[in-house]
Amino acid sequence: MHGFYLTIVRYKDHFLFVTTITLSFFLLLNNQNPNMGVLRGKSIELVSFISSPVTFVKSLMSLEVKTEYLRKENLLLALKVESMLNLENENNELLRMLEFKKRSTLSMKPARVVNKGMQPNLLSIVINAGAQSSIRKNQPVLTSFGVIGKTVEVGENASIVQLITDTNYRLSVRILPSGATGILRFLKDGFGQIREVQKNVKVKIGDKVVTSGFSDIYPSGLPVGSVSGVLDDRGSFQKVVNIKLPSDITSFQNVFVIVEKIDEMD
Amino acid sequence: MKWTEIFFPFIFVWIIQLLFVDLLSIGTVRPDFPLIIILYFSVKQGRFAGVLSGFLFGLLIDLSGSAMFFGLSSLTYTIVGYISGNLKGVYNKISPILFTTSWILVVFFHFLIFCLVQYQELLLVNNSLFLSKWFGTSIYTLSFLIIFQFLIPLNKESNVKSR
Repeated sequence: MHGFYLTIVRYKDHFLFVTTITLSFFLLLNNQNPNMGVLRGKSIELVSFISSPVTFVKSLMSLEVKTEYLRKENLLLALKVESMLNLENENNELLRMLEFKKRSTLSMKPARVVNKGMQPNLLSIVINAGAQSSIRKNQPVLTSFGVIGKTVEVGENASIVQLITDTNYRLSVRILPSGATGILRFLKDGFGQIREVQKNVKVKIGDKVVTSGFSDIYPSGLPVGSVSGVLDDRGSFQKVVNIKLPSDITSFQNVFVIVEKIDEMD
Repeated sequence: MKWTEIFFPFIFVWIIQLLFVDLLSIGTVRPDFPLIIILYFSVKQGRFAGVLSGFLFGLLIDLSGSAMFFGLSSLTYTIVGYISGNLKGVYNKISPILFTTSWILVVFFHFLIFCLVQYQELLLVNNSLFLSKWFGTSIYTLSFLIIFQFLIPLNKESNVKSR
């Protein structure tokens, strides 16, 4: 026993190294453990609390620019709403004629980005809304430009959001107007790539890309980006479509979380 | 060594990494200041302190960040602490070029492990993108480490006798 103790003391560096590496692997392999989720939920509460003063100062600094931008945006939106109201009237008339009317609305919760993580790459963010705001795991997160990610861990007043820039992130999307579907993954510098797109569909540069609705997480029709290029390899059975994501992942401060989808059938 | 001499620099780096690192980001790439402090600390204090600080600080970062792979930071920083701890007191015994190459390789090795776990699928799908992520993050942090060399050279830290 004494010999064993002496061996440990003599090789304490190596012994500590092996122990800590084993512990790290244990943590890595237990990422899906619910207890781990609870622990992380508690810790991001603290991070959110510490980060909030800096976020507040940052938001004050950009207040003037934001107000100016919002005024312009407000004017543009008012014009859009006017034209959309006309379109809605026309649409309602057509639906009534078909004796079918379905209206789908999304319930959204606004949240502020309080921290953008400590990793050397921007893959996830912390927002200041959690279970108390009815936010749960695996809910879509948007900006006014489109989808930016989904919630992966939820605390009482804060949540972790996996960003679309994470190369492990996948999103089922539809290209409009062709209706072709595929799987989106982030590539680099605001660009993504849609794979598994049928070869016979016509896709043009500038076509809109929205969520397909095949996923349990994302409702259909949420904006994602626009087509920036099409790779049609002769030897392949599928097309590869490059898209430009409109959201500037590094600069936004406010997001919306879709907490539920309400379907009303008349 | 007083505990305050260890505690405050680490807390300072933690706060910088938590609150202000975003201001230094280029696109989605950010500098890794915890790596720099663990490298300095290990080179000055040796393997045991390096491994211990690497693991604990990595755990703190995993808890306080929004890491997708919980435990990855503690794994990579522990390895950095162990390898760079071997550089304690060796600056006068080996060639300066070898010494400098060693800590540069430690940085690259740290990010290799990080990227292998974080972008494991990318390695299979798109090799060049994987390499650009690895080199991008490594070189950006390395550039900060080189700036620190002018303020506090690592070779001096290596020859400081720890109390």
